[in-house]
Amino acid sequence: MAEERQEKVTTVEFYKEITSKLGGETITFCYQCGTCASSCPVAKITDRFNPRQVIRLALLGQREEVLTNGAIWLCSSCYNCQERCPQKVEIADVIYALRNIAISEGNIPNIYAEFANALLSEGRIVPISKFLEKKRADYGLPPLKPAGIESLKKILSATGFDKIMPKKGESP
Amino acid sequence: MDEAKVGVFIADCGGQISKILDFEALINFVKNIQGVTLVERRSEFWRGQGLQTIVDAVKSNKINRVVVAEGTPKISEIAIAKAVEEAGLNPHLVEVLDLKDHCAWPHRDTPKEATEKAKAMLLAAVEKAKLLEPIEKAEFPAVKSVLVIGGGIAGMQAAEDLAEMGFQVHLVEKEPFLGGLAAKAGRFFPTDDCAICIQSPTADLKTVAHTSRKCVYRSGFSEIPNLNILANSKVVKVEGVPGNYKVVVERKPRYVNEKKCVSCDLCTSVCPVEVPDEYNAKLKTRKAIFVNTPLVYPPVYVIDEKACKFYDCAKCVEVCPTKAVELYQKPEQLTLNVGSIIVATGFREYDPSVIKEYHYGEYPDVITHLELARMIDAFGPTNGVIVKPSDKKPAKRIVFVQCVGSRDRRWNPYCSSICCMISLKHATLIKSAYPDTDITICYIDIRTTGREHEYYYERAREMGIKFVKGRPSEILQDPATNTLVVEVEDELLRRLLELEADLVVLATAMVPSEDAKELAEILGIELDQDGFFKEYNAKLRPTETKLRGIFLCGGATFPKDAPTTSLHAHSAAVKAAKFLTQGKIIKDLKVAVVNEDYCGDCEFCPVTCPYGAISLVPKENGHFVARISELLCEGCGVCVGTCPVGAIELRHLRPNQIAAQMKALLSVNGTSKPLILAISCSECGHAAVDSSGMAMMSYPANVRVLKVPCTGIVQVQHILEAFKAGAQGVMIVGCKPDGCHYEAGSQKAQKKVELAKMLLNAYGIEPDRLEMFNLVYIEGDKFAEAARMMTERVEKLGQIQLA
Repeated sequence: MAEERQEKVTTVEFYKEITSKLGGETITFCYQCGTCASSCPVAKITDRFNPRQVIRLALLGQREEVLTNGAIWLCSSCYNCQERCPQKVEIADVIYALRNIAISEGNIPNIYAEFANALLSEGRIVPISKFLEKKRADYGLPPLKPAGIESLKKILSATGFDKIMPKKGESP
Repeated sequence: MDEAKVGVFIADCGGQISKILDFEALINFVKNIQGVTLVERRSEFWRGQGLQTIVDAVKSNKINRVVVAEGTPKISEIAIAKAVEEAGLNPHLVEVLDLKDHCAWPHRDTPKEATEKAKAMLLAAVEKAKLLEPIEKAEFPAVKSVLVIGGGIAGMQAAEDLAEMGFQVHLVEKEPFLGGLAAKAGRFFPTDDCAICIQSPTADLKTVAHTSRKCVYRSGFSEIPNLNILANSKVVKVEGVPGNYKVVVERKPRYVNEKKCVSCDLCTSVCPVEVPDEYNAKLKTRKAIFVNTPLVYPPVYVIDEKACKFYDCAKCVEVCPTKAVELYQKPEQLTLNVGSIIVATGFREYDPSVIKEYHYGEYPDVITHLELARMIDAFGPTNGVIVKPSDKKPAKRIVFVQCVGSRDRRWNPYCSSICCMISLKHATLIKSAYPDTDITICYIDIRTTGREHEYYYERAREMGIKFVKGRPSEILQDPATNTLVVEVEDELLRRLLELEADLVVLATAMVPSEDAKELAEILGIELDQDGFFKEYNAKLRPTETKLRGIFLCGGATFPKDAPTTSLHAHSAAVKAAKFLTQGKIIKDLKVAVVNEDYCGDCEFCPVTCPYGAISLVPKENGHFVARISELLCEGCGVCVGTCPVGAIELRHLRPNQIAAQMKALLSVNGTSKPLILAISCSECGHAAVDSSGMAMMSYPANVRVLKVPCTGIVQVQHILEAFKAGAQGVMIVGCKPDGCHYEAGSQKAQKKVELAKMLLNAYGIEPDRLEMFNLVYIEGDKFAEAARMMTERVEKLGQIQLA
């Protein structure tokens, strides 16, 4: 028994934090039947994501682990689990709520941060590139017009989106 | 009515109360109250010499109203009323109050203040007593006959109990044969023997009736005296009142004369029509004239109306040796006169085809437990062999799926309670017969809460049955091989599994019988949120309904195993017997009465009455008035609190009695604190007041308690009158909102309190002077705390200042 027991901090009221967020209201309905896990196309291909386990950890108050281990970012939002959940846990929406909590604390994977910054600076998640323009032309699609960046910025500013996002170059 | 001559009897409880209260002052005070002709003091008055003192005073005509201050009013009230009645005075002319628990003990630290409060309490009791009116008894007929609806094991056992106790019993079963679910289930846990046996009727002369049980078909069930079995029948109308119902039963034609059929089976051999056999889960076919199994009860063939060609064929008529087949039969209606009704309509399997991901009804090898039970039954369609319905080949890999449509907020949120055991029973039965079968049970939680139930789980594991903790997300079918694949996460391994299976058995939810809703409407009783029949009180009256004459048993109230169903059936039978055994219902007419001059055309009271005792009857010119059934009224007063024009009064608590008590309780203060009136119900509310005193929890003596039957009687006007009479604060003390003894009385009181607060505000009186408290007996401490809190609050607000 040389293995050292890992001490984990339990946040007793984490479930309340989640249920107070939009989409997180139903997390306490969960009774761990596993229907979500065996419905999940992501869980089929990787051990790193299991919706049942995300909810389990959250309900046990493992706040730090849930928000930082990266699993919540792997959900593909197919809503298969949500359709089938016998307790009407809005699983995909709960995961969105968890992502929102994570982002508000600066816990965001680089790829998402890049998307966000692209949105802020260019008005698009995927910037227009020469390659894209060419592809569109090949398919006979008209060239893209520049995004309405000014009005978008106003919206993103009004919703507070620009404040929660790490700035370009900052490491999240 | 003679002039009131009140005798006041004050017990000092062996000096316990007089140590605190100044009895000399009390007696002098009472002697001077107008109308009091006698005052006595003893240690106790509710038994022995004390009770004799009261009896003598009544007999000598010195008094015609009795006020007793006793330490244990709940017990003493009954003894005193009985003695007074025997002495020749109406027992409702007695008023009992509790100077110990409601005054001396909680206020023992302030004896002077307590004495002043005791004066107010005695004055209130005397003033009420002067206004009491005699209440007579009434008799209502109770026909010694019972209708039992449902011929499953619950209905059969209840019917048998009652018939053997001498009641005339009519047992109505909608199917052509008795047995209900038991007839299909084959075997029942926890004994694994036949499902279709019943308790041994004493009608069976050849064997000892006290044997543990008897097959239905050998039981002589039909020969029990007073038992009238009406199979293939349905209740279509119920009229009347508890004790005296008129029930209309419609008998569907059987087309076979029950008295002539000899079960020779010749008819089926000539019948040319073959249809899927629903009784046998459509795993085989049957003829248009049929019996479910050779062992059915009654042992009489029946013709399936939808399948039979009738006179276009009539081969059965020709072949029948006893001329029993009567194709000309028509539906007939009969009217029964019964005193009470027992609902034993059971439950049924939920149709799992709504759960699309399990593909029931689409993949033939996905079946339910009842269908599996037919295969396990040696008399069943496969003679006990477990096969794949798709190709009739033996099923060697079987997966059970638990909680299908139950514990599921989308369909039935409750746990059906018996499905875990059904799966364990079926899995072990199959494994015993075919040890090479590979059986996996996918579960969320295994629930084996009954006696000997956990042993099934143990045995299943010992036999090598596999358990996977996880609810399958989907059942797929390989189109090439027809093999089923069950997708499930083994949560304990945290591994996604794909279980191959020949047969998947769904442990479906158990839901109320299809006719539950219709029957509830016919009977005027309620269903719960899940559609099962709602009992009067889940804890203490599990087989009764709010209506005195209607009882429930078995799966009609919730899915049950056989032992619980038996218990329930016997309980319902005893309750029905107790209700009817005297042949009459005797009750004191402590009921509500309507002043027809005021009443008119609103429909509040019929809706509000928890017992359905109020109906509207036509008056002249198309107007209506409320009519209260003396039999059904329980005297709670909820209608009084609801009537907007004060047209309803309780005979046992007239408005002038409430007003007189209110005035008296607030006439003497004697404390330095503002007077607070607590209007408490006579159930949990009063019990909380009692228990705070019994446990000597202290609160100030400025809090005065006025008892009413139910806080539902409280009108906004009562609250305003309390303030007018001098209260600086008002507390309403009732049962818990969901625990009112008269259904929703305390909820209605809460609404009145909210309304009154608004009115008080409009009058310039602080709404905080009024508060509702919902307490029970074990919350005496909370009553004392509430009384202290309200006192402090009202002290801070100061005297009411009207603008």
